[in-house]
Amino acid sequence: MREFDYARADSPRQAVSTHGRSEQAAYLAGGTTLLDLVKIDIMRPDQVVDINRLDLNQIETLNDGRTRIGALVTNTALARDDRIKNEYAVLSEALLSGATTQLRNKATTAGNVMQRVRCPYFRDGVSSCNKREPGSGCAAIKGHNRSVHAVLGTSEQCIATHPSDMCVAMAAIGATVTVEGPDGQRDIGFLDFHLLPGDTPEREHALKPGELITHVTLDAPLENSRSGYLKLRDRASYQFALASSAVIVTLEGDTITNARVALGGVGTKPWRALEAEKALKGQKIGEASFTHAAGIAFKGATPYAHNAFKIPLGQQAIVRNLTTLTAQEDRRTS
Amino acid sequence: MSDHHNNEGLGVETFDARSPSRRRFLKTMGASSLAAATAPAWAQIAQAGQQQKEPVEPRDDGAPAEGEQQIQLTVNGVAHTLNVKPNAVLLDVLRDRLMLTGTKKGCDQGQCGACTLLVNDTAINSCLSLAVSHDGDEITTIEGLSQGDELHPVQVAFWAHDAYQCGYCTSGQIMSAVAILNDDNIGSDDASVREAMSGNICRCGAYKNILAAVQDARGKMEGAS
Amino acid sequence: MSDSIIGAGPKRIDGQRKVTGAAPYAADHHPDNMAYGYGVFSTIARGTVTGLDLDAARQSPGVIDIFHHDHFPELHRSPSSMAQGNKVEETRLPFEDNQVHYEGQFVALVVADTFENARAAARKVGVSYQRDDNAIANLDQGVKAHGTQKGQGNHERGDAAGNFDGAAHSIDVTYTTPVENHNPMEMHASVASWEGDRLTIFESSQGVVQQRGALSKIFGIPQEHIRVESPFIGSGFGSKLWMWPHAVAVSAAAREIGRPVQLVVPRQQMFTTTGHRPETRQRMRLATDERGRLVSLRHESINTTSFTDQYVETCGSVTKSLYSCPNLLVSHETTRVNRGTPTSMRAPGAAPGLFALESAIDEMALAAGVDPLEFRMNNYATRDESQDLDFSSNHIREATEKAAEKFGWQDRNPEVGSMRDGHEIIGYGMAACNWEAIKRECEARVSLRADGTAYVTCATQDIGTGTYTIIAQTVSELTGLPLEKITVRLGDTSYPKGPISGGSWTTATTLPAIAAATREAIKELKGYATGEKGDFAGVDSDSDSLTFENGQLTHDGQSVDYVDVLKGQKLASADGHAHTQGADDKYSYRSFGAHFVEVRWDPGISNLRVSRVVSAIDVGRVINSMTARNQVEGAIVMGLGMAHFEATEYDARNGRPVNNNYAEYVVPVHADQPPEVDVILLDYPDLAFNEFGARGIGEIGITGMAAAVANAVYHATGKRIRDLPIFKEKLMENVPEVQSA
Ligand SMILES: Cc1cc2nc3c(=O)[nH]c(=O)nc-3n(C[C@H](O)[C@H](O)[C@H](O)COP(=O)(O)OP(=O)(O)OC[C@H]3O[C@@H](n4cnc5c(N)ncnc54)[C@H](O)[C@@H]3O)c2cc1C
Ligand code: SF4
Ligand code: FES
Ligand code: FES
Repeated sequence: MREFDYARADSPRQAVSTHGRSEQAAYLAGGTTLLDLVKIDIMRPDQVVDINRLDLNQIETLNDGRTRIGALVTNTALARDDRIKNEYAVLSEALLSGATTQLRNKATTAGNVMQRVRCPYFRDGVSSCNKREPGSGCAAIKGHNRSVHAVLGTSEQCIATHPSDMCVAMAAIGATVTVEGPDGQRDIGFLDFHLLPGDTPEREHALKPGELITHVTLDAPLENSRSGYLKLRDRASYQFALASSAVIVTLEGDTITNARVALGGVGTKPWRALEAEKALKGQKIGEASFTHAAGIAFKGATPYAHNAFKIPLGQQAIVRNLTTLTAQEDRRTS
Repeated sequence: MSDHHNNEGLGVETFDARSPSRRRFLKTMGASSLAAATAPAWAQIAQAGQQQKEPVEPRDDGAPAEGEQQIQLTVNGVAHTLNVKPNAVLLDVLRDRLMLTGTKKGCDQGQCGACTLLVNDTAINSCLSLAVSHDGDEITTIEGLSQGDELHPVQVAFWAHDAYQCGYCTSGQIMSAVAILNDDNIGSDDASVREAMSGNICRCGAYKNILAAVQDARGKMEGAS
Repeated sequence: MSDSIIGAGPKRIDGQRKVTGAAPYAADHHPDNMAYGYGVFSTIARGTVTGLDLDAARQSPGVIDIFHHDHFPELHRSPSSMAQGNKVEETRLPFEDNQVHYEGQFVALVVADTFENARAAARKVGVSYQRDDNAIANLDQGVKAHGTQKGQGNHERGDAAGNFDGAAHSIDVTYTTPVENHNPMEMHASVASWEGDRLTIFESSQGVVQQRGALSKIFGIPQEHIRVESPFIGSGFGSKLWMWPHAVAVSAAAREIGRPVQLVVPRQQMFTTTGHRPETRQRMRLATDERGRLVSLRHESINTTSFTDQYVETCGSVTKSLYSCPNLLVSHETTRVNRGTPTSMRAPGAAPGLFALESAIDEMALAAGVDPLEFRMNNYATRDESQDLDFSSNHIREATEKAAEKFGWQDRNPEVGSMRDGHEIIGYGMAACNWEAIKRECEARVSLRADGTAYVTCATQDIGTGTYTIIAQTVSELTGLPLEKITVRLGDTSYPKGPISGGSWTTATTLPAIAAATREAIKELKGYATGEKGDFAGVDSDSDSLTFENGQLTHDGQSVDYVDVLKGQKLASADGHAHTQGADDKYSYRSFGAHFVEVRWDPGISNLRVSRVVSAIDVGRVINSMTARNQVEGAIVMGLGMAHFEATEYDARNGRPVNNNYAEYVVPVHADQPPEVDVILLDYPDLAFNEFGARGIGEIGITGMAAAVANAVYHATGKRIRDLPIFKEKLMENVPEVQSA
């Protein structure tokens, strides 16, 4: 870690003004992404603004039925919150499937949204990587690309997955990111928050320089829905997803009346599979309709030398998740 | 195994009957001159870990130098006033400044769990924590678990179940176990414990015995679920 | 001997220190005025360093000095001889010249007043290179570019080729294994301090004596001027057997700046500059007669080595003697790649070798139409045909039978994919395990002291195996002193020369020396007792009628406590020193066993789990049942990792390591622990080997594990995985083909 200045903010305003619009400043929340990357010299802030003492620790139910989560609510606290467990099971499960107990105790909601890719060529500091050094090329496309590279949403410039589990659940639930910045406060739709790499993989999200996430507000839960998160990986715990699915469904008898499907480990951003959702709606539950929808979710997917298996694996994550959810009687919420 | 709560076996592992003055002598001499001394140089370290025998003295660094910030850390109940640079990591400050070397570094990147300790009773990776941002926090390390000569029930269980081999992951495993046993949200069944402990790698593969130790300590710990 | 402490399972005498954080590991040492080093490592795999930009780093706070190939003292290479006691695996010295042979090689060392200052400055060092684009990234490229070199450990008997063609059944298959990294929890670390021309170094070492010898050669100073200490080590699995460049770098730096220096090798470079298990390719050709008796067996392996050193992974070491076969060929070759020098990793040779052999045996059994268990029973050797020697003690048949019974092998439906449970398909697989038993020469000292304690020293190490405890058990057995009264000191070159902690030979090597030294001490005690001023003055000290038991000397019905003997003559202690020799060559000394593994494959989510393991191990006498079992259980976990996840990946274009960290190099975690692991320890003393009948237990448990898993996977899925690790994509259907670029 190189040297940097450190300041602790007491209010969001103060945080924003200390940060300024500098590209060289960074907010410090749990630090599990930031300090990791500063240690290996990939991020080199000259100003660190510690936001840990801000009063952004609440989980509140709003009048319109939405749930507002403070930026600093830890992944652990969010996962075990009763409302989240009962009404957004998919989110609680996604959080608990991520990282490790100790890391989740530190990791915050905003930090998780902002976590960066695990691509080894990004992290090694020397390979060509358009995300780290725009225009230098992408070493991963023809390199080793098994576990943390995507098959959906990739571009000629970058194929790294967005590694978050939490965000996959949020993409399925629907959410709004509230930010405070040098130009005031604004809301960003969750699906618009993370950007596809396209030609500008160095741009990962919709924040403007200096903007601070203060809250993430979840859409009201789908009534009578059941939801779950299924994460597939090599070892049984503590590994980024090779493929994962967040699924929310509502049923009437044997018919799917509404479905939300989002994918992790396979997309360059938390991947909402809107076409697959459409394909599920109105269908009878059963392997045939699940497999069909899963196929649609991966239409147009691009396999690379080592990660082609993610295409069938991701489909399995959808099918099994739907199978389990629709077979259960007791996962209904509200 | 009987319940050993105290220093049975300590005769084996403390180094002779060195008097406190002898210890201080060893410490101030430094290792290079110790090479010639009869006691192995590493004996001086024993005391750093034996917090229950010789508590770590509170430390006060005086006024901070340029580029440093002053912080207060209460570590195992002892308040320290320290001057640290912003890029100093909590783990390194504990190990290199306070000489609390029981907390280990296995990766320095949040990947192994060896550096696990409790901050305000929550288990975290101290390698991914800036010391400055812990100003005012209460920190418990492995050295702070035992009460005097009496080992914590989790320590007793780890010893009795041979829940280690090399011992390098052990501090982290024990700190995680203590946190997990105090946490009502984590199930008491084997699968839940295994899942919750998965951030603590044991390359020696003593997982079976670690699980047995955690489950054995459950119930012997006040307030454990 | 039923109440003997040998064979019992007392808890470890160093346990309290481990559970309280008091056990001192290398980097826990902070001698006064210590500075910190941080390395700068090459970012190319092959080429030369053409320039170093040090300005920014020099101005960085706290920097004391920066070492590199143009600023480093002139040192000498170690001859690297194990017999001479100065072996190193990488003979090239750090900063010897500006050549780069692998990525992650030391190119500079920054020394500063604090760890954070050293690291911050290291980040500011600019290095320019002339990259050689012909870096050899893997085994295939190496073989293609420059072929192979002959290795050692080869063996031939009969006519394997001639008896292959035309045999009733035969297979010809090739297995490959990737680079694996030891990844001990404790990163390699050294703390070096000088006083004049005397060096003290705390090292995370499995072999302090060898390191002292190597440092002596490298620095050109007498061994007596060097003290290497490693009382506790965060394990090594082979990576800490021999000293690596960091220890030379830090020792030189400490001498140059005149201050103690600590250097820890970062986790990323633990994948590059401290050894690894090399990549292997193994061709297996086996043939049997009609009845499934082996008539021809060839095991030909190639492994990668570095451009600086030759390291041979002796994959066929077990193949020579495990099965009876008159016509057999084992050959080892190497090929050079741009990686650091490989080294022994837990069960070197045997771990990858038995993956190939025991998978091939499974394939051969199927080809011959024989149950794999029965096939092994029919073909296990009864004597070592490679050396034409009897085994000192071999209970592999009993081990196999016992484990099979406990596992429930008889319930196995041999049909592939036939055993199901819900979503899951269950597979049963088995494999033999095998490891050489070795005993080396060793010295030890034991003092029986007037305060009623014993004090034992030996410059071997306890690397987590329980050596402290079993040594205390040995002394306790012979003196009757309780463990609490016995102090054991290891891991320090100022003690009598002990063996490296490797090859599973520590137990068999040290215990006889400890016992002999204890007896010497007792003899000295008897001498005092029978001397002029003694309680038994005039008695013949060698007489059988003078006995020593439970701390009491007894003669003619009269007993006296040994403490009183010493106190009576104002003596501090009775001391014994011993120097014992290595094993003879009357027998072939080996350990045996068998693993039985249940896997569960869920094809709907492509999930593979090892759910049950039963292993029976024949390692001679078990000295401490608790630590011994723990060793095998731990080896099973590591074997499961080898089977299932572990592979260090390199970019094929330039040899760059890509998953060199503890998150992406996947090792088993708590959640991967199979719910049932059952280890049976046979416990037949091998008294031809040593008086305790113990053969050592550290490595055998990993041998055969990967094959047992692969064989179970075949039984579940019908897929024969000949390339480790068994990643899920190798078992999946419908993986799209990708045009490789
Ligand atoms: C070993 C390891 C394994 C992991 N495994 C997983 C996994 O399996 N699944 C998974 O989902 N995640 C995983 N993670 C990632 C982990 O979840 C993230 O590191 C964590 O969520 C980040 O949160 P934080 O609060 O620590 O963020 P920080 O590190 O504090 O911040 C991350 C980034 O966000 C910025 N930032 C922080 N707060 C704000 C804010 N309020 N407004 C604007 N910007 C902000 C910071 O400047 C920084 O750039 C893993 C991490 C590690 C180290
Ligand atoms: S995939 Fe993206 S992050 Fe990885 S090397 Fe390519 S551009 Fe960089
Ligand atoms: S040292 Fe902190 S997790 Fe490894
Ligand atoms: S005891 Fe060695 S890593 Fe766990």
